[in-house]
Amino acid sequence: MSFPPAIRRKFWGHDFSSPVMLASGTAGFGEELLDLKCLSGVGAVVSKAVTLKPREGNLPPRLLETPFGLLNSIGLANPGVHHVLNCILPAAAALPCPFLINVAGESVDEFADVVNILEDSSVHIGYEINVSCPNVAEGGTAFGVDPEVVLRVAQGVSRVTDRPFSVKLTPNGGDIVQSAEAAVEGGASAVTVCNTFLGMHIDWKTGKSVIRRKVAGYTSPALLPLVVAKVWQVSNAVSVPVISSGGVSRGEDVLQLLAAGAQMVQVGTRLMRRPFAASELMDEMKKLTGE
Amino acid sequence: MTVPRDFDCVVKHREQVLCGVVKTVFDCAEIASHALPGQFVQIEPSPDVFPVTRRPITINRLTGNGFELLFDVVGSGTELMAQMRPGDTVRVLGPLGRGWAIDPGSSWLLIGGGLGAAGFQFLMNSVDSVTVLIGASGSDRVVPLDSCRVITEDGSAGEKGLVTALISEELLDGADSIAVCGPVAMMEAVWNTIPEKHRRKVQVSTESRMGCGWGVCDGCSIPVSGGGYKKCCREGPVFPGVEIDWKRWKEAGL
Repeated sequence: MSFPPAIRRKFWGHDFSSPVMLASGTAGFGEELLDLKCLSGVGAVVSKAVTLKPREGNLPPRLLETPFGLLNSIGLANPGVHHVLNCILPAAAALPCPFLINVAGESVDEFADVVNILEDSSVHIGYEINVSCPNVAEGGTAFGVDPEVVLRVAQGVSRVTDRPFSVKLTPNGGDIVQSAEAAVEGGASAVTVCNTFLGMHIDWKTGKSVIRRKVAGYTSPALLPLVVAKVWQVSNAVSVPVISSGGVSRGEDVLQLLAAGAQMVQVGTRLMRRPFAASELMDEMKKLTGE
Repeated sequence: MTVPRDFDCVVKHREQVLCGVVKTVFDCAEIASHALPGQFVQIEPSPDVFPVTRRPITINRLTGNGFELLFDVVGSGTELMAQMRPGDTVRVLGPLGRGWAIDPGSSWLLIGGGLGAAGFQFLMNSVDSVTVLIGASGSDRVVPLDSCRVITEDGSAGEKGLVTALISEELLDGADSIAVCGPVAMMEAVWNTIPEKHRRKVQVSTESRMGCGWGVCDGCSIPVSGGGYKKCCREGPVFPGVEIDWKRWKEAGL
């Protein structure tokens, strides 16, 4: 790799003028992005997580902002794979950039079942397999921390699709390098490093957590060094591209993650605040590197 | 519906209207010409990295070339907003959400609780016939509106009691539409006071802890009757009262 890292890159055989991907859960299924016309500078969009059956999501409150970040407990709310396939994905064809579908499951087999159904769509270039959601009782973080389960999930997905897929890993426990290696062994074409960090906010007056599931997923610009370290560790250990996720709020953050070994860089919470974040990050990067 | 856009707006005016309640007027011809009553804007409290989300505030009224917000200083974000001074440039996304459904020529009954009434002025200015009932804990929580009947819990302004005491069969009969906005407990009390036959006329303006404000994050969900949720930011913030699952909403304790 040369430094500073190039902004233009190749990923899964496609040429990307931008390394910025919109992270799962912060970009819906692209409908709102199309409405706001905020897709300039977006390299790729990752959908909300799709599960076999519809999921209502967790009882509110689902969000709690802390002085330096955001706790979320959405709970993989989505209308289920059949509704997504028939009623939502056709509109995503209008996206001017590549589209990945994030897939979650409550059992090892469910991941492959969902992917198998989504194979009927041609709008997406690949998948992100979410074995790391901290906000669900089944199939979330507990899967991602166990390399044996990650291997079986990846193998199951490999059997039903020829499209490339990334496995989204957890920073919460286990050895992320071992889980990444298991994903690659199972056939993953990339790994996403990483899902949200387990966080909690307790009202000291009552001893209670505002979030009903007590713990939640934490995102923050202050997590950047933690994500950089994990991206650096994983990219040194595996042969497939690493997609970073977390910690980005400025153009120089994206450049740092690329320098740490990320091939693509996801932005999430920043996008929620700034719908035009991708375009803003690209402008900042071009100014910094002169590319 | 108009597509919201992200604007750099200049603060034109700022004043404290009640204790802990600030009125700020922003210049923005585009928002002023497109916003509808009941819609909101997402304000960036600071150009810095923190806080990481914006603050959703209902538009209280339009000014000639912009819009006015009236907000309660309740936390670090609104504290930063309270410090905005004329001449400051602030990032504003809007107009956002679905506002009040207004039939031409309809007569309205507005029922507000505390700072929930911030936003009523825009609706009052947009309908032909309106009666406004405001309830608050005390005179220091009564939002200044052009004309309204006030009741306070401590009797420091208007009558003494709860806003539900002002709701009469005569007022309900005379209204084509009923707008309710305030804390969840107050709105539920109002809902329970309104007889079944008038409930189809009720619209409620909801509030939720909000992430994006433009529909992508699913963080601000409001429980709806029949199960499931709707997004406060995009399918609301104004919903028909019959659409709300009052029991689960109260349980959520937003």
